[in-house]
Amino acid sequence: MAFSTDAFSRRQLLWGGASIAAALALPGCSSGGGTDTPKGSAGGGDPWKQFTGTTINFISENTSPSAAIAANLAPFEQLTGITVKVQQMELDKVVEKCKLDFSSGTAQNHVIYADPYQILAPMADGLADLRPLLDSGNYPGVEGGLDDFISTQLQATGTFIDDKKVFALPYDAPTMIMHYRRDLFEKYGDRARADLGFDPTPSDAMTWQQYLAVARWFNQNARKDVKYGIGAQAKQHDSLQCDFSNVLWAFGGDYFEKGQSLGLRGSDDPGAVTVGSAAGVAAATFYRELLSAAHPSSTTWDWTGLADAFVAGEIAMCPNWHEFAAGEEKAFPGKVGYALLPKGPSRRAHIFGGTGIGINANAKGDELGAAWLFVNWATSPQTQLMSLGSKVGGGTPTRTSVYGLPEVKAEEGRSPSKFPNIRTAQTVLKAWQPENIGLRPKVSQWVELDTIIFTELSKMLTQNADPAATMAAIQQQMQKAMQ
Amino acid sequence: MSVGISKAPPATAVAPSPADRRPRRTRRRRPPRGLKTFEFAMMAPALTLLSVLSWIPFVILVAMSFAKVRTLGGVSLTFTGLDNWTAVLGDPAVWASWWRSLIYFVSIVALEMLLGLGAALVLHRLLRGRSLVLSIVLLPMFLAPVMVGLLGRFMLDSTIGLYAQLLQAAGLDADLLASPATALPVVASIDVWQWTPLVALILLAGLSSVPPSTLEAATVDGAGYFRTLVSITLPQMRPIILVALLVRSMDAIRYFDIVTATTNGGPADATKIIPLKLYEYAFRFNNQLGKAAVLGLTMLAFSIVLARLFLRFFGERTAGPTQGGDA
Repeated sequence: MAFSTDAFSRRQLLWGGASIAAALALPGCSSGGGTDTPKGSAGGGDPWKQFTGTTINFISENTSPSAAIAANLAPFEQLTGITVKVQQMELDKVVEKCKLDFSSGTAQNHVIYADPYQILAPMADGLADLRPLLDSGNYPGVEGGLDDFISTQLQATGTFIDDKKVFALPYDAPTMIMHYRRDLFEKYGDRARADLGFDPTPSDAMTWQQYLAVARWFNQNARKDVKYGIGAQAKQHDSLQCDFSNVLWAFGGDYFEKGQSLGLRGSDDPGAVTVGSAAGVAAATFYRELLSAAHPSSTTWDWTGLADAFVAGEIAMCPNWHEFAAGEEKAFPGKVGYALLPKGPSRRAHIFGGTGIGINANAKGDELGAAWLFVNWATSPQTQLMSLGSKVGGGTPTRTSVYGLPEVKAEEGRSPSKFPNIRTAQTVLKAWQPENIGLRPKVSQWVELDTIIFTELSKMLTQNADPAATMAAIQQQMQKAMQ
Repeated sequence: MSVGISKAPPATAVAPSPADRRPRRTRRRRPPRGLKTFEFAMMAPALTLLSVLSWIPFVILVAMSFAKVRTLGGVSLTFTGLDNWTAVLGDPAVWASWWRSLIYFVSIVALEMLLGLGAALVLHRLLRGRSLVLSIVLLPMFLAPVMVGLLGRFMLDSTIGLYAQLLQAAGLDADLLASPATALPVVASIDVWQWTPLVALILLAGLSSVPPSTLEAATVDGAGYFRTLVSITLPQMRPIILVALLVRSMDAIRYFDIVTATTNGGPADATKIIPLKLYEYAFRFNNQLGKAAVLGLTMLAFSIVLARLFLRFFGERTAGPTQGGDA
């Protein structure tokens, strides 16, 4: 037997390996085209049953509405024969998984909790346009039509730049309002009023300066019942940007020249960055002062940490998402009040954190059809009513028709109530009015901008940095990120 | 029928002298200058697998570091030259993050090695109940790091945390995770709590392998405990110390879970070490995988340099019979 004596040098071997690797690495793939409208073969003509036997995955932030849906999937599974697996996690992780899923060209997750700022705007290409599904005769119609959704919420959570496309249907509508311990204000209200010269109970009339004064009064006079007057969600996290934005807008500042108009449809041309304006600096100066009076652990709390602290009786009041009301009603039945956020020199603003649910553009065939049936069902009035009364929390409806139901109206003033979140209804309905709503700019770079904002604010709060320098740093970094 | 085979030594054989019995420093045989085709063919399956697992990702990573990468709607790389490199290497936040990573790395590896050695020495001297104590000591390392992070966060939470309440009872009201000065030491402590047992386990194995006769000889020569430890035990444990160092170092460079679960990089970026920065570029920000690739490559270079350093300090003098080759 003879062996060849031809030889490869180590260098040749390495080059060969690298060339093979490069050749394998370079090819791209493309996808595109409109959304299909598949028709299932099962169910014997019942449009809800046509995808019986299909299994789909729903990925969501760990919010109350998703907890309620996950706990009550049986009606959907009975109605359609479709199995739904719900995964809930922190929003950061949802964003990461969606990015990987969309990029892979597959649909590991079919139904997506499409946060308008962190998923819809930066990854709109990864979501299916729902318009063909809405218009198709293959499926049951959306009850009440799109007009039944609160229109600003449909625009803010469902569209991006192109109004003709709908990427998601409004699913939840958390909005920041004031949560306060009514029992504490009943006990200390008269004394505080006498000392401060105004009604300390949070109301439409309260200003941010008064809010700060009440916080300090509680810190000095009510330690026996509550550790601190106020708390904040000032962890280096999205929550810090949300908390600060309420103050920024109230003081007349905004992130971009085009301001609030960017929050509905979004834009790829938001105008100049304006956060470093005089109004922005005034807002940052006030916010730092506010945090100096807040519970010292505020810089470690996101919205959940703040809600836990409120429920544990650590603070007397705080701005937080209204959907935390259900947990608070359990801890202090009938003792929690809700009000609009304080006014600033310019306006009052309540940041809107609502989200829609959409479908992964990579979903095809029966999975796409099943996903659409689930989106339709999960945002329907009946499901929203179920969610409102869920024992695991639930959300508040994104459908106007649900607020008009007699059984819902009857519960608005009750505590304990079978629909605990509806106790916030009067307040959030006012907060959603155009002059009161606070909308973040819906631009594809938002996650990076958000990170810049909360990181610099965190430095300001924990290292006592100068507010003007902080806002200048945010302005400069945002400009760089937008280039 | 049996055939007798003579086992007599050849006439030229002579008994080895005492000097010949000493282990000789042997010259390493030079490898052949090229690989023969047959040998290459035999290695091809393994080389293919190796290239799939390491070369392809590496080449992709290098390509990405010189490109703007889009993944939605199909992967596309647009060549941008050195833009990513200059952007990342010119970013003061990245250097600040590297500095924090170094502080973190040195502190946890040093603490884990020292505490691990201490625990191993104590366990080694335990005659009764060693298995039970060892099982208890090892418990933290069986937990998932993200669980350990959450545990730390909850224990230190000012509202519900047991440690926070104990600290408050002792007069320390400050929230340890709220201050940039204390957040990194706390996060490092959580890591030390989880991974010191692993170092202890590795070093305990090393201690058990030191020949008792050597230790007895040292005792007979009058060496005390610490002299024996420093002059006999630790030098004999150099290879096993190297293993512990490499295992923990490679892990520490990639440390992510506990920081994410406790502080998410805050407050004021005080705990934002390089892996978190990489995660931000890769998974949070839009179309910045190129910058993530640059950070990944710098982490790789750092790991290689570090491993070489450890090998130089702890590996060279470990040459034993197995390293002498077959000459």
